[in-house]
Amino acid sequence: MLLCDFHIHTRYSDGSVDLERTVDLFGQAGFDVIAITDHVVNGDTTIGRLTHKLKFSVREDNFDTYMTNIRKEAGRAWNKYGLLVIPGVEISKNYLSADKSAHFLLLDIKEFVPACWSYEKIFLEAKKQNALVIACHPHYMSDLSRNALFLWNNRERYAKYIDAWEIANRDDVFNVISLKKYPYIANSDFHKVRHIYSWKTLLNCEKDVDSVKQCIRHNKGVAITLFRS
Amino acid sequence: MEMFWIFAGITIIGLTGYVFQIVAVHSHTSSKSSREGPTFTGPFPHVSILKPLKGIDDNLFDNLESFCMQDYPEFEIIFSLRDRNDPAYKVARKIKDKHTDRNITIIIERCNDGLNPKVNNLIPAYKASKYEYILISDSNVSVGKDYLKEIVKHMDDPAVGLVSSVIRGVGGRTAGAIFENLHLNSFVIGSVCFLDKFLKMPCVVGKSMLMRKSDLEAIGGFKAVKDLLAEDYIIGKRMKDMGRRVVLSDYTINTVNKYWGMKNFLNRHIRWGKLRWRIGGIQYLSELVTNTVFMSSVPVFIYGPSRMTVSLTLFTSSLKIMGDLYLGRRIKADISPLFYMLSPVKDMVVGFMWFVPLLSNTVVWRGNRYIIGKASRLSPCTDNGRWAWRYRIVAGIRARFA
Repeated sequence: MLLCDFHIHTRYSDGSVDLERTVDLFGQAGFDVIAITDHVVNGDTTIGRLTHKLKFSVREDNFDTYMTNIRKEAGRAWNKYGLLVIPGVEISKNYLSADKSAHFLLLDIKEFVPACWSYEKIFLEAKKQNALVIACHPHYMSDLSRNALFLWNNRERYAKYIDAWEIANRDDVFNVISLKKYPYIANSDFHKVRHIYSWKTLLNCEKDVDSVKQCIRHNKGVAITLFRS
Repeated sequence: MEMFWIFAGITIIGLTGYVFQIVAVHSHTSSKSSREGPTFTGPFPHVSILKPLKGIDDNLFDNLESFCMQDYPEFEIIFSLRDRNDPAYKVARKIKDKHTDRNITIIIERCNDGLNPKVNNLIPAYKASKYEYILISDSNVSVGKDYLKEIVKHMDDPAVGLVSSVIRGVGGRTAGAIFENLHLNSFVIGSVCFLDKFLKMPCVVGKSMLMRKSDLEAIGGFKAVKDLLAEDYIIGKRMKDMGRRVVLSDYTINTVNKYWGMKNFLNRHIRWGKLRWRIGGIQYLSELVTNTVFMSSVPVFIYGPSRMTVSLTLFTSSLKIMGDLYLGRRIKADISPLFYMLSPVKDMVVGFMWFVPLLSNTVVWRGNRYIIGKASRLSPCTDNGRWAWRYRIVAGIRARFA
């Protein structure tokens, strides 16, 4: 089984560890697959504009650098640790109300996708790029400030666009995903070193991007595990 | 003000001891002594490297890989784990798959022969080892390519029974890791070199222990130390008692502490303090005396801050910063010079920690609680045991504030 974490932030957004060290941290701990998913925040709200100003978001002007550096690190990680690194982003639509906010990952993305686009437009663009769409921390969390409930509240409308839902995020487990029988994965939402010890995904597939994506989409051979030292 | 002068006197005694420690480290790491070290005559002997693994250490992949990169004719590496679900298993597996040209074995066996979990982990690896020379090495240790050759050369002398190495803390990125590395690179290395040079006492740290199986068997093997917390120190002591020389190699090995929390630092040094108290008895007092920063600050607590009391503390702290900086440079530690300013703070914390072993004789190690007896002998600490009431009080306070 491949030990995977598909939700990792670096200093390209609000993570506290830079990209190279993040890759090393997961490589040293024996991980097989990770995805670097820094925030792309909507710039059409006050919170969003502030986030852009503080450079806590990947932007259109630094997206190419972001991708180039991830690819460079992916090469290094593969050669040194046999670690597969997938580029991605976390589209973060932040509003004052948790009910209006939504966070979702686009894995194996190729082109920049602005977070201020409509949901449908983003999902269709993701499909066009053959990226995976993962709904992040979709339900109530222990840290109330991180709640982003829009996708869950509107699941009837958007579930068809979503390849998998986070059934566990860091220390939180969302049993509603299980009850709804949605496809699932578990991630750390890594921002700090200690977040490495959290829920993870185990995949029973080959270690290449297409197999990993297929395994998540079909949601067969997927398990979750609480990674502890 | 007599008390002030008493503590000033103790501080001077402590500083003198600290100077001796610096001299010992200087002497041990001098290039002259390295050049004049022994050389191995004839072919190098085959070596079995025993690596007990438990959980993920900082830089575990690189640490394990550094042993695969040894420039040494013939050796085997045995990774020993208790459980396939241990996260270290995946790392060991990756190392084995990457270095197919190396003789690497992974052993998974739940051995419960003793109470020391490290020894329990070592026993299956020892049974599986093929060669006469065994090297026990912790998983948080990283070494250079010439490490094995450098330590094995001491074994050319048949009187040598055990070779250990001095350790250097590297890689600190968090406050806990920096405290840990500062402590390893000043107090620990200073004490180990001091005992070796001036008192001729073997002070073996289990991070690196090379010995012959025949010698280990002669002192009773791992079974003889399976219930001891300080199995490394006792093995060294028994080797010496048997008439074998215990050599402290001038090869400095790296202990990687990158992302340690303050809790890890406190836990480890309270545990080590407890075992030194149990082994050394009254000699444990010397640790407090040589903690010059702590001793020089006692008058500040007694009389309050005044020009005299604060001056003594600041003067001692400055000397300690400079001394630790010198030691760091000497052993090529990678700590930024600015972080040495934290050295007195660390010493203050260590000073308060010194008292804990006097009040508590239990340790939690790898998830289990034990009572430490004489010579660091462990016995299980159950909820109904003699000392359990203290444990229950602590648990109660923790639950109250949780």
